[in-house]
Amino acid sequence: MMQPVTAKELEYLADSLSNEDLLIKQNAVMAASATNGAFRQAAAQMIQTHQQHAQMLLQAISQHQHLAPTQPQQ
Amino acid sequence: MDQQQYQQGQARPILSDEDLAYTVLADLKRVVREYATAATEANCQQIRQLFTNLMNSTLQMQGNLYNLMLQHNMYDTSSPALRQEVDKQLKMNQQTAQKTQQFLQQQHLGGYASHQYQAPQQQLHQQQNPGVNPYFM
Repeated sequence: MMQPVTAKELEYLADSLSNEDLLIKQNAVMAASATNGAFRQAAAQMIQTHQQHAQMLLQAISQHQHLAPTQPQQ
Repeated sequence: MDQQQYQQGQARPILSDEDLAYTVLADLKRVVREYATAATEANCQQIRQLFTNLMNSTLQMQGNLYNLMLQHNMYDTSSPALRQEVDKQLKMNQQTAQKTQQFLQQQHLGGYASHQYQAPQQQLHQQQNPGVNPYFM
């Protein structure tokens, strides 16, 4: 049974999205400018995984959207 | 002059492959820890599971990148611990385990404790009989 997301959980979800976003950008730099092909390829793969992570985090927030109270509790 | 530096920068990036990889590796290590913290502080079972899965996935990426860096000689692994240091740690911690077992026996929890601490004591045997696997004794 799904419960409303707590304020703490929401902060962790948002912080994690920032982390994933930063890693996507760092890997984009490596994918573009590494001289060694193995590192360019690894970076390209990691971009995909971090995009999946970000998608899952976004999905978790949206799944809990309708459960969130509109007024402060107590 | 500025233009020239920019063009040089394009041909040869300012950061080496090693620096680029290390920057990503350092952040992967940090994010693994953050996911672990997030999982331990989650209230909802679903969100705990999400953070746990993302932690494992990030840990996997960190391991893969570390191995890649190792293959390209970008990492000096720390030197092996000396035998005497390993012996010392083993002995000290076996003594600690024994004391903890005694403590548990005093609390009448001995049966459980002796079961828990079988493995470290049997490892002492392994030093004398290297051919014998202690876990199958």
